[in-house]
Amino acid sequence: MSTAPEQPQTVTASASPEGLWTIAWRQLRRNRLAMICLTILCVYTATWVYAEGVYWSAKIRGAVPDYKISHYENRNQPPSLPHPLGTNFAGRDNLKQLIQGTRIAFELGLLTSLIVIPLGFALGALAGYFGGKLDSVIVYLYSVVASVPDILLIMSITYVTRAAVERSAAMQSVTRYIDAGLLSICVGMGFTGWVGLCRIIRGEYFKHRERQYVLAARALGASNASIIFRHIMPNVSHLVIINFSLRFPGLILTEVVLSYLGIGIAAEPSWGTIINDAKQRLWLGNWWELAGATIAMFFLVLALNLFGDALRDALDPKLRIAEGKTA
Amino acid sequence: MSAYVIRRLLSVVPITIGVMLITFFVFRVVGGNPAYRIAGKNATPARIAQISHERGYDKPLFLNFRQFPTQLLDAQFPQLCSNLLRLDFGRSFVTKQRVSTMLREGVGPSLCVTTPLFFIELFLGVGLALLAAYYRNTWIDRSLVLLSVMGMSISSLVYIMLAQYWLASVWRLFPVWGFESPRYLILPVLVGVIAGVGGELRFYRTVMLDEMYQDYVRTARAKGVSSRGILFHHVLRNALIPILTNVIIAIPFLYTGALLLENFFGIPGLGRLTVMALFNFDDDVVFATTFIGSIMFVLFNALTDIAYTWADPRIRLK
Amino acid sequence: MMPSSRLLALLSAGAIIATAISCGPVFTSDSADKGNTLCRVGGDFKGFDPVDAVDVESAREVSYVYEGLLEYAYLDRPYHPIPRLTQGMPDISSDGLTYTFKIKPGVRFIDDPCFPGGKGREVVAADFVYSFKRVLDPHLESQGDWIFAGHVLGADDWVKEIGAINGPVDYSVPLPGFQATDKYTLQIQLAKPYPQLLYVLTMCYAFVVPHEAVEFYGQQFRRHPVGTGPFRLKSWRPNYRLEYERNPTFNGQTYPSTGEPGDRAAGLLDDAGKPLPLVDRIVEYDIREFYTVWQMFLGGRIFSSGLSKDYFEKAIAPDLSLSPDLVRRGIRLYKVPEPSTDYIGFNMLDSAVGVSTDPVINERHRKLRQAFASAIDVKKYVEVIFNNRYMPANSFIPPGVAGHTDKPYAYEFNLERAKQLIAEAGFPGGRDEHGNALRLTMILPGAGSTGARQEADFYEEALRAIGVELIVQQLSFAEYLRREHDGETQVFWGAWIIDYPDAQNFLQLFYGPNKCPGINACNYQNPAFDRQYERILTMADSPERTALYEQMADMTTTDCVWALLDYRLEYGLYQPWFQNYKPHGFPYPNGKYYKVLPH
Repeated sequence: MSTAPEQPQTVTASASPEGLWTIAWRQLRRNRLAMICLTILCVYTATWVYAEGVYWSAKIRGAVPDYKISHYENRNQPPSLPHPLGTNFAGRDNLKQLIQGTRIAFELGLLTSLIVIPLGFALGALAGYFGGKLDSVIVYLYSVVASVPDILLIMSITYVTRAAVERSAAMQSVTRYIDAGLLSICVGMGFTGWVGLCRIIRGEYFKHRERQYVLAARALGASNASIIFRHIMPNVSHLVIINFSLRFPGLILTEVVLSYLGIGIAAEPSWGTIINDAKQRLWLGNWWELAGATIAMFFLVLALNLFGDALRDALDPKLRIAEGKTA
Repeated sequence: MSAYVIRRLLSVVPITIGVMLITFFVFRVVGGNPAYRIAGKNATPARIAQISHERGYDKPLFLNFRQFPTQLLDAQFPQLCSNLLRLDFGRSFVTKQRVSTMLREGVGPSLCVTTPLFFIELFLGVGLALLAAYYRNTWIDRSLVLLSVMGMSISSLVYIMLAQYWLASVWRLFPVWGFESPRYLILPVLVGVIAGVGGELRFYRTVMLDEMYQDYVRTARAKGVSSRGILFHHVLRNALIPILTNVIIAIPFLYTGALLLENFFGIPGLGRLTVMALFNFDDDVVFATTFIGSIMFVLFNALTDIAYTWADPRIRLK
Repeated sequence: MMPSSRLLALLSAGAIIATAISCGPVFTSDSADKGNTLCRVGGDFKGFDPVDAVDVESAREVSYVYEGLLEYAYLDRPYHPIPRLTQGMPDISSDGLTYTFKIKPGVRFIDDPCFPGGKGREVVAADFVYSFKRVLDPHLESQGDWIFAGHVLGADDWVKEIGAINGPVDYSVPLPGFQATDKYTLQIQLAKPYPQLLYVLTMCYAFVVPHEAVEFYGQQFRRHPVGTGPFRLKSWRPNYRLEYERNPTFNGQTYPSTGEPGDRAAGLLDDAGKPLPLVDRIVEYDIREFYTVWQMFLGGRIFSSGLSKDYFEKAIAPDLSLSPDLVRRGIRLYKVPEPSTDYIGFNMLDSAVGVSTDPVINERHRKLRQAFASAIDVKKYVEVIFNNRYMPANSFIPPGVAGHTDKPYAYEFNLERAKQLIAEAGFPGGRDEHGNALRLTMILPGAGSTGARQEADFYEEALRAIGVELIVQQLSFAEYLRREHDGETQVFWGAWIIDYPDAQNFLQLFYGPNKCPGINACNYQNPAFDRQYERILTMADSPERTALYEQMADMTTTDCVWALLDYRLEYGLYQPWFQNYKPHGFPYPNGKYYKVLPH
């Protein structure tokens, strides 16, 4: 029971994915810290589902969600029984804001992954499976992207995407449903974040394409597409989950910085905007806004980091170095 | 040896071109005509056309087929390349200064913050990682790991705000803001170390634990070398390669500066320059910092490889 | 030997050398803050070229080092121009078309390498001709060209001729409206009467620069100011700090000896007759975080702190007086009215809120705009968004400017009336005859800022109360301006800060020919208004003109082109050791009057 086990587990990445997950789960179950983190993550996920419910039920009814209604007479109240985390500048309950912040954080993670996972996986699989010229091109592509300092690239892409979204008439129907800021952040982080996943997947396909089961499938006349998706993919898909759980905390922390730089989320309460708004009132003694957002972020990021580590150790301990520094 | 050096240095060229392409793509293609951002207040269509023309934004993006073949290269990207090759980053439309001058002025203050930050973080990170590795799987190790992950789970913005509030304004230990004497650097460096050391510790600990399970360590232990001896003579020595890789790759970030720290503590470095440029839609400056940061990364990567080969010719064979 | 340790040693040595080199000369020194120095917070400043001094920050910095023919009297009210680099006020011909200025002899530019021998030369009338031409030069893209364009004889032809030139501009091309008849005599010929000329000549755009400096420094001119002002630039580190020192060759100007009644009692005349400037040095820090400004103010490092709304509650008691602990420290509070108006503008060419050729629809849209205006509780807006620091507006002409009236605003907040108006507009309960909610889009600058979020929420809620679904788009400033200028708006937030104390400056915002991409961002077209506007353009200040101003204001109110929000009022706190401060609507060159006591 530890965060990083002593012995690199010689997990046999066999052709049976159930076996892999069963072994991993058994190991995780013995890791008390990982179980605590998993519980925390479940609580957050439930909160997220609840927040989506609040948001969409209001949207469908054409009403204004509760968390967006101001009670100016109640503004900047310290914590009390009806408002356990006090109220903000407009007299809105901070707890409700934080719950919506959880929604934004998860949406951020998922939307970003909608770019990262298909892009990273597809390019990685193609490069690793086919090798040769295609591989060189893809390796070149990600070496180039990896060469640009992360934060600068995220900032630049977010900033120009924001400008493009604002200018484009076509995007205005989209931004009625997704906050323009959220959209541009996701684009920024998505087109920056696929490199890590692509590298790992490429390495795995490279190894797997010479394995017995793949050679056998090929001998039986399976097409390349079928080998890539039907045969190899189930054996490497756990890496996507590990990669996601380790990338997610970084996204949440980066959103705070982007919001500070004024290229963050505009009209919804994200943790980043809550922290940045709280900044102005902290010095008046209104500590509860900052404390609430910091704590809400802290436990999610902590749980994701620790659980991601445990998951990685359980599923594929050899990945530790290949990933480099996380966060 | 020299053939290898030449080959490795040449490999920098395509990556550099790639970096140029990607920054160009982001700023000119996705971002649209920057003249809209530059023109700002009182922008008449004529003014936008004029800016576009002066800065060449009205030219074709990659190749000019309109005037084929004499003026084939009279297009945006070839011109950008030739400007960059001459290290000409253009002129900031906000301050009308040469971007290169602005960058030069910002390097000093940035290095003043990032260099001490970098070294303190490095030594503290490696030191604590050694401690954790030595006491691996005891409560010392576990609490160090837990603390480092906890430290990484708080936004650096929060660290900065709390430090500025408590240390600078309530307890008055440090100046709140400014860049007047070395005393002004203590707080930003301190905050940077607190915010960053967790990640360093976690990374170096992994590196060291990986070394600990190598065969040579087992052999040494079998020969009766003490734990401490193994740690310092074998593990640390061999872990130096990944540590150094990590260190050298971080060097370009010394140059790009610490965006948040510089901005909050009023350090007139490149980080603050970049943030201000972002606020002012000063495309050329954002472009230049992004580009230079990338090129330094590419160069330092190549230099690391060459340095290793120079230090230990066996590495080349790997 | 151990290969890696060789590398480590190399690396460390390199880093230490790099640090040593970089840290040596980079610090500015603490000592500048001591002594007879005025330290303040500056802001986003772009460069010392008078023709580019478009914003408040630039106007202040440029005014430290450059000067013009005229300036506003410091203590007198109402604001009126007094001579600065001229001997007496100009002679104005009886037809109001010729202004003759006598330049003060003996005024020198500061010593600078751009002059032969490095010694500053005397300012002559030709320097003004040169400087005025620069404002008009289309290649310089000055946003101040309106001060002369269309008014000065031959200006428009000159601009056309110069604009056609590709390459270096030859300012020797004559411009009939600007004549240096002898060394010290400057004549300005107007195409038609332009009573605002004396006001615009106090603006930075009309400041005098030597052609030697422009030619010598080229693009670097903005970093090397060479002026006649009370200070000269000592050092400038962009985004961080500016330092000025007393100009030793400043042409003797003394502290004024007259002012308003009460100025003597307030001690504002104690320094009458003393040579200006009263401080030796000015240091400005570029601090963007208000919290930092506040801490530096409390620590006594800077002389004043504007009050951000969040600090307002801490420093100001509910009755808008200073909190006791600040009073104990001798800190004083000033309320400085900014002659400006914040408003919500409607695009009159928009198909949902604008004018229509069909009189029924036209009337309905007018009702809609009026409903919008009546739905906004400006009192509450000012209270919750600005902590009561601003005043609800009742006329688009701010107080203190001729044409402003005390009549209550025609569309003061009245929810019942707003509901009734929106019903009359064809949207009872905010819904059309098919039951669809009326949906309007408003744009607001400052995306990503806390303020923009708060304001957007406020407007949306206000309109929701009458059933209208308002979508407030928070845009980056550049995009906001672009849409405003291209007329791609429906409803937009706007603000106008007056350039000179004459309401004509506001009225031009409603003049038909100024429509987009001009400054009439509402695209308001009213022939009756335009006729009157053309009349007042050539009228000198008189009760008759003021009556016309009021009439024109009423026209725009009836049409509800703007929904008025507030007049800005800046609350500033000042250190006890900071003296001779008097709030001023055009405070840019006032640094020379300020005094700092030892502290």
